[in-house]
Amino acid sequence: MADGQTVQPGLDDLAGEAAVLRIYRQAFAVLAREAEKMILTPQLLDVDEAIFRAFAASGSDGLTEEQVRNACRRFPEATVGRRFEVLRAYGAITKVFERPNERYYRAAFAPYIMLLFLRRIAERGGQSELHELLSMEHRNVSAPAATAADGQAAAARLTQVFRLIANELSIMSLGGEVAQLRENAQLLWGNEALITRAEEVHTVVLQRWPALDRECQWLRSGLAAYRDAIDAAAARLIERAGTTRALGLLPAEEWRTFARTASTERLGAVLDSFVFDAPAPWFDPQAMTEAVESGGQPDTTRIPPPRPATDGPGPDTGGLNSTGGLNNTGPPDQDGARIAAEDLLGPSRSAEVADLMRAAPDWAGARRVLAQMTAAHHDPALPYILTWDEALDAAGGGAGAPAWVTHGQFRRITP
Amino acid sequence: MTARDTALARDTALTWARARSAGPLRVPAGTPAPAGMIKLPDAGGAEPGGPGPASPASAWLVPRVPETADARVLAEMGLPGPLLEQPNDTARMLAAVLRCCWEDPLAPVWPGVSAGSGPVLAVFREVTGPRDDAAHRRAAVAALRRLDQAGWARWDEPAGTVRLGPRVALWSSGDLATLRQLWRSIQAPERTSAIPALQPGAPEAAGPASPPEPAR
Repeated sequence: MADGQTVQPGLDDLAGEAAVLRIYRQAFAVLAREAEKMILTPQLLDVDEAIFRAFAASGSDGLTEEQVRNACRRFPEATVGRRFEVLRAYGAITKVFERPNERYYRAAFAPYIMLLFLRRIAERGGQSELHELLSMEHRNVSAPAATAADGQAAAARLTQVFRLIANELSIMSLGGEVAQLRENAQLLWGNEALITRAEEVHTVVLQRWPALDRECQWLRSGLAAYRDAIDAAAARLIERAGTTRALGLLPAEEWRTFARTASTERLGAVLDSFVFDAPAPWFDPQAMTEAVESGGQPDTTRIPPPRPATDGPGPDTGGLNSTGGLNNTGPPDQDGARIAAEDLLGPSRSAEVADLMRAAPDWAGARRVLAQMTAAHHDPALPYILTWDEALDAAGGGAGAPAWVTHGQFRRITP
Repeated sequence: MTARDTALARDTALTWARARSAGPLRVPAGTPAPAGMIKLPDAGGAEPGGPGPASPASAWLVPRVPETADARVLAEMGLPGPLLEQPNDTARMLAAVLRCCWEDPLAPVWPGVSAGSGPVLAVFREVTGPRDDAAHRRAAVAALRRLDQAGWARWDEPAGTVRLGPRVALWSSGDLATLRQLWRSIQAPERTSAIPALQPGAPEAAGPASPPEPAR
C-alpha cells in the first residue's frame, strides 16, 4: 500500500486504499480469535455466524450488545462477548452512529461472505473454489471488454495457484509421511478437470493477446509442474499401497471399519476377482523311479571326518619347530612329538604336569605344553605316558596359570 | 457370438478358475467338459469297499494344459514349481499307491481299483527301506495327505482305503511306459490280512509302546 515512491498518491487513491483495507479487516475479522490471533476451533465460527444471523434478523434499527447476547444465548456468554469485541475491533460490527454512548450496532456483510467461503472450503477442501475460480477467470478473459492487463493478471493468478499446489504436493511426496500425503489426497482429486479448465483459460488468453506469450509460458510450466507433482504423489501412494496388498490407498482405520461392519457377502465379494492357485505338484515318473530306487538305503550317509593323508595316528601333535612356533605346515611327525616330550622331561624320568605347565610363559604356552604331552601320550609308537590323579586342587601354588589343578605325571616308559 | 456361446465361454472360464483354485473338480456325469479339460468317469461307487460318497453318476474334470505349458517346462528351465514337502517320500508313496491300485499295467491307469491302506503301507515300507515304526507311519500319513490334497491319490481315511486320484490321467503314454517299468520293479503286496491297516484314529506318532508289530 505504501509504494508511493514513484507517484505521489492522490487523495482519491488513498481513500480507495483505505476502503480496500477496511474490507480486508472486516473479512478477516471472522478468522481472528482475539485481536492478532487466528481462529482455532470451528465452534468460534458458529458463534460468529449466530451473531451475524442476529444482525440479519434485526432489521434496520441495529442491535444493542445485550440483544446480541440474548440472541446468542445458546453459546457461553463469555465467548459471545469476546467474539463481539473481536468483530468490533476489526470493524465488522460498527456503531450505527459514530457517537459516544451509542448503544446500537450494525454488521458489515463482508465477514459473513467470508464465513460462507470458509464453510465451503472446510467441506470440500477448496477444490470447488478452485473450479469456480477457474470458470470465473475464463469468463473474465473471454469477456469482450477484457483487456490485456486482465489477461495477464488472470494468467499470473492461475500460475501462482498451480505453483503453490504443485510445490505442496511435491514436497509431501518427496519427503513427507505417506499418512500426511494420504490426508491431503484431495489435492489429487479431479486434477484432470482442473488442468483442462486452466488450459482453456490459457488458450483464450494466448489467442486474444499473443503478446502475453511469456505469462502463458509460465502458466504452462506451472501446469506441467502440477501434473508432475500429481504423478509423483500418486506414484508414492501406489508404491506404498503395493506393500500392503493394494489396501493402502485408504487409511487403515477405514478398512477396519469396513471389516467390522460389512456383511459376510460383502466381505467375501472383496475376493471375488482373485483366483487362488491350488498348489499341485507334478510327479515326474523318472523322479518317482529315482526316489524308489534310492529308497532302500538310509537317507543320511555318514561322511567320515577328514583325516591327514599320512597314516600317522592320532591328532595333530602340535610339535614345535625350531623357532618355537607351532609346526603347522610340516607333516605331523613323531619326531616333533618326541623332541617336544624330551624337551619337557629333560633328563628326569617323570615330571608333574602342573609344574611343566606353570613353567610355560603364558596361558597359551601352557596349553601348548599340555597338547604336546597329550599327543605324545596318544602316539603308541612313543614311549611316553600321561597319568592323572583323582583329586582336584583349587588354587594350588598361587601364581601359576592353572588355578584348578588335577595332579598328573608325565613319564617316560623305560623298557 | 450368440448368447449361448457367451454363456459357454463364461462357464468354461468359471470352471477353469475353479479348477485352478481347488484342483480337479467332481461334477455330475452329464456335465460337458469345457475346452482344455478332460472328463474322467468316476468308477468309485462300482468298487466294493470304494469310498462311500462316490457314485457312478459323477465325473472328474481335470485341467490338461498343453505339454509346452505344464510343470515339465518349469523343470526344463530350472524354475521352482510348487513346493512339495518331503518330495522323495511322497513320490515313493505315490509309487506304492500306483503299485497297489493299478492292477493291470497294460490297462489305462485310470480309474484303477481301490486298495486297503495296509498293503499300500507295506509296499511303502518296502520302497522306503528300514525305518522306525512310528516314523514310518508318520511319513506314510503325511505323504498320503499330501497326495490326497493334490489330487494324485484319494485317501478315504475312515474307510482305510486308497485310490488313485484323477490327476494320474495326465501322465502321457511315455510317462506310462516308465511307470510300467517302475511297477514291475516293485514287489507286489502280499494279499494277506497279516498287514495291519492304517486304522482310523490310530495315533500317527505312536510311541514305542503301540502296535506290536514283528521286527523287520
